[in-house]
Amino acid sequence: MPAAISAIANVLIGGIFHAAVLFLVAAGLQLVFGVQKIVNLACGSFYALGAYFGITLVNFGLGAGLPDWTLLPLLVLAGLLMVVIGPPIERLLRAVYDRDESFQLLLTFALVLMFQDIFRLVWGANPRSLNNVHLVYGKWTVGDFSVPVYNLLVIGAALLTAFLIGLFLKHTTFGRLLRATAENRAMAEALGVNVRAVYAAVFTLGTLLGTLGGALVVPTAAASLDMAVEFVIEAFAVVVIGGLGSMPGALAGAGLVGLIRAGALVLYPEFEILAIYLIVIGVLLLKPSGLFGKPAA
Amino acid sequence: MLSVKDLIVHIDGSAILRRVSLQVGAGELVCLVGRNGAGKSTTFRTIMGARRPVSGTIALEGHNLLHLAPFEIARLGIGFAPEESEVFGDLTVAENILLPTWTRPTARPAAEREALAYRVFPRLERYRERGGQQLSGGERKMVSIARALALDPKLLLLDEPTEGLSPAVVPTIVAGIASIRELGHAVLIAESNLNHVPDFADRLYVIERGEIIFAGPPADVRKDAAVARVVDGAG
Repeated sequence: MPAAISAIANVLIGGIFHAAVLFLVAAGLQLVFGVQKIVNLACGSFYALGAYFGITLVNFGLGAGLPDWTLLPLLVLAGLLMVVIGPPIERLLRAVYDRDESFQLLLTFALVLMFQDIFRLVWGANPRSLNNVHLVYGKWTVGDFSVPVYNLLVIGAALLTAFLIGLFLKHTTFGRLLRATAENRAMAEALGVNVRAVYAAVFTLGTLLGTLGGALVVPTAAASLDMAVEFVIEAFAVVVIGGLGSMPGALAGAGLVGLIRAGALVLYPEFEILAIYLIVIGVLLLKPSGLFGKPAA
Repeated sequence: MLSVKDLIVHIDGSAILRRVSLQVGAGELVCLVGRNGAGKSTTFRTIMGARRPVSGTIALEGHNLLHLAPFEIARLGIGFAPEESEVFGDLTVAENILLPTWTRPTARPAAEREALAYRVFPRLERYRERGGQQLSGGERKMVSIARALALDPKLLLLDEPTEGLSPAVVPTIVAGIASIRELGHAVLIAESNLNHVPDFADRLYVIERGEIIFAGPPADVRKDAAVARVVDGAG
């Protein structure tokens, strides 16, 4: 494979990997906003929690003698276990469900700050990493082009998640109840839908997508105190580009942001964040509801 | 069946319902007639648990409905078709109708409940796979009533079922309501136009400024001049 094509392929795969993780978190954000109308800034903290706990569980598991190939199952388990924080936080957010968005933003931002202190207390102020342990799955190499198999597995997992979420929303009874609740909460309730139970389930699912995203990304990037805020900003860029509440929008937005970021990192690293926000501004000017969002009534 | 006694509801400090009392017996079709803003929709929404009364009682078959969440009231067997239809645009007609069969399983299978809804409004069966947002106003109204019927309810609340519809559609809706009544369901209808009250109504309540000013058979509604002025001015 010629060097130029290898370089482009590397950029593409790097971008798609980042997009895959971004999609998981943004999908959780979209799901929660779509149904509960809550703008949940704390989704970034769920992502960071998944990352930190992923490191702890992997270090514990591999330290206890588990084979290296258990890395991915351990990370998935870390994401699944950390979902326990979803229900109590959803319970806390009930106080602001019917209040102005500013209350929701304040409360969820307060959660981000509280989580940051908890991370500092439990894992310390210095970044934590897994030191390339993900290379245990090997690399896929074609000429000069080389990509860790782990990254391909994460991309596959994100695509599978997107497919399963679509299937779940469109073709399951609970998915239909969820769409009805998202569209008209009062009417759904008048037809016997236990909206509180739906909210708790949706928030837990959104939390799971965040913690899973964080756990899966941590072998390739260090967990740090800033990661929650940094990632939530990117996740919101995805949501604005794709359209608030739209799941196809989350997929398209994540793809776009991931690729722009990867391209900028190669071509002009200083331009990385600026490039994303130029796209965000462009979308807001040309299509304020986002690429897949429905215009406000 | 349904017993509402001395219901007082305030909204933003204003008294909207003032000691409203009404009864609906098993299999009865009762109409609540009043001008726009008289308190009909508030009465319905309070029965459905969407508004909390200041005082009064609401009971279904002796079961106190106060302090229950709307979904619990629906699961007890009150089907509600609101004035604005509120059909889920993101779901198909079939999914709209099947939704209450998922939330309130009864001895009657879901397929039978869906079939019953199409028997009442046969036109809807052709549109089973059509999205809720693709329906006309009349079709949305049919879906809304059919969906409430699919709850397999003991009592149906129909808020202005013919309001805003073209005259060509009104007979279809009225025929559907007649079929529902023949099936043995109790029905309470809110209506702003006395001319739209079905001939087969058992009893009538007239509400004016949040107060019930008449309760009795439809034939007697104009016997009191003050009530006659209200019902003739309604609509």
